[in-house]
Amino acid sequence: MKLQKILTQQNVLSMVNGVITAMGGPIAVHSCDGVCLLGQNGNGAAQKYPIELSGNVIGWVTGTAEAMPVAALINHLVVREYERKMLARETLDRYKEISLIYKFVDKIALCLNLAEVTKLVIEETRKNIKSTSASVMLLNQRTRNLEIISASGKEYSPKTTLKPGVGIGIAGTVFFSGKAEIVNNVSLDPRYVKGANRASSLMCAPLKTRDKVIGVINVSSEEPADYTAANLQLLHMLTSQAALVIENAVFHENKLKEERIKSNLERYVAPQIVKAIMDSKENIVFTPIKKNITVLFSDIRNFTTTCEQQPPEKIVGYLNEYFTHMVDVIFTYGGTLNKFVGDMIVAFFGAPAMAEQNEKRAIEAAIGMQKRIKTIPAQWIQNNFHTGIGINSGEVVVGNIGSPHHMDYTAIGDEVNTGSRLQSMAKGGQILVSRSVYEATKELFAFTEIGSVQVKGKNKSVEVFEVQY
Amino acid sequence: MAKILIVDDEPHIRLLLKQTLEELEDQGVALLTAENGEQALATVRQEVPELVFLDVMMPKMNGFNVCRAIREDGALKHIHIVMLTAKGQEFDRQKGNEVGADGYMTKPFDPDEVVDKAREVLGMSR
Repeated sequence: MKLQKILTQQNVLSMVNGVITAMGGPIAVHSCDGVCLLGQNGNGAAQKYPIELSGNVIGWVTGTAEAMPVAALINHLVVREYERKMLARETLDRYKEISLIYKFVDKIALCLNLAEVTKLVIEETRKNIKSTSASVMLLNQRTRNLEIISASGKEYSPKTTLKPGVGIGIAGTVFFSGKAEIVNNVSLDPRYVKGANRASSLMCAPLKTRDKVIGVINVSSEEPADYTAANLQLLHMLTSQAALVIENAVFHENKLKEERIKSNLERYVAPQIVKAIMDSKENIVFTPIKKNITVLFSDIRNFTTTCEQQPPEKIVGYLNEYFTHMVDVIFTYGGTLNKFVGDMIVAFFGAPAMAEQNEKRAIEAAIGMQKRIKTIPAQWIQNNFHTGIGINSGEVVVGNIGSPHHMDYTAIGDEVNTGSRLQSMAKGGQILVSRSVYEATKELFAFTEIGSVQVKGKNKSVEVFEVQY
Repeated sequence: MAKILIVDDEPHIRLLLKQTLEELEDQGVALLTAENGEQALATVRQEVPELVFLDVMMPKMNGFNVCRAIREDGALKHIHIVMLTAKGQEFDRQKGNEVGADGYMTKPFDPDEVVDKAREVLGMSR
């Protein structure tokens, strides 16, 4: 701080001038480089008193012995002015931070799109912290990896995915410790994992929400940057605001995904099962897996001949009504509607969810279906729709099968074919099951043994039982 | 020498604005202050600054009246006037236009914005 600057202030100037005049003697104030700032440069000034600020001489007061109190006064004023300045500077810094946070929050607060909000966060962070690249990494709940959601930088392309396992790398360490870090010499840090962007210095801060860390923000510089505690503090402030908004966006995105899955599922399974699936903590798998399930086939006997009596649009109306009732019964017993093939209905018990007493529930559903047909209000349906039902259980491959353009949740395997075969043997009103179904439910229902039949393409014959109801 | 006048009845705001504009002061811009409307008007007439940061809410003569008085004086018409208004208290744009203000900023002000504005008005590059 220069002495000139203080002495040019109007009130200081008049006060010091007044004191010098009152003292009478020849008194002068000089800057440290010898320029006379105030008073008369009396020749052969006897005394020389320094004006000091934090150990440095910034000027002199010369003159008679009376110059001493003048020097004391100026010294006092200088210190006061210096303190005031420092305080103002500190306050202004805080003021800048507040204004920055205001703007930051204003910008990101209403954004619910994850990609958009993380991009904004990076832009704003880079605007305020000197860097050549920055990224937002979030924990992928499924893979337990930290994944780059958004990044900026010279070499960044959106396809870049850096996936250090959690706990590996500087980002992983920060994620676990929840404490922000400065690494000013990256090459000396053994934890560093090379990414798309070269970095000499970096800062990494955790994205902390109320009770957990959801990810981190990395800021790095290609040239050594000597990040300071103040830089880190700023990053920390930005991330703590960003974390809440990002969490919100993630939540929103998951909710949307859930809604999509839900509306898809509701076409195939009962609402209560959808709810059970959505609520269940375990992951419901739609990728094909081997699973023990029960399959039910139901088909209208002599459908084609029956239909010839009616115009097609009438038939469609009857079919829709019939299917609606049948699906309702299937859902009641916790079954999953797989598909309609013409007038045939295929249903699963045990996939994708609810795996207990599959055989029992399938038979209950079959009995329910046979009885329900008799109560459908349309008399024509009651008179003309006679269905045969076949049920089999066993290990099949079940899951989403198809081409990327069209996927169906379906089951594949011999046991499925056998179920279909049983159905084709069943006469109107009959429910035929295999031995595996019979064994699982023989205490619960009455059966008549039909005997063994040869199934096309199978060496072993299939034992057939009819359910009495 | 270019001059900027800072008008606010609150001493800490004057101090903060002065501190904000210190870098311009180092480049030879004179920073003047006034703590009420009357003082502001007197300083404007005497010093004719290029730019005035003018608080709206002040006792006695408020910022709008100061602004109008400056605009009514033919010799002072060119002065750039930025009104300062507290956050939360909606700035009356219509009133601001009426009295001929060039713009406004809300307090807590953004220091960078203040410096940028000053440089722009004074034609100084960053």
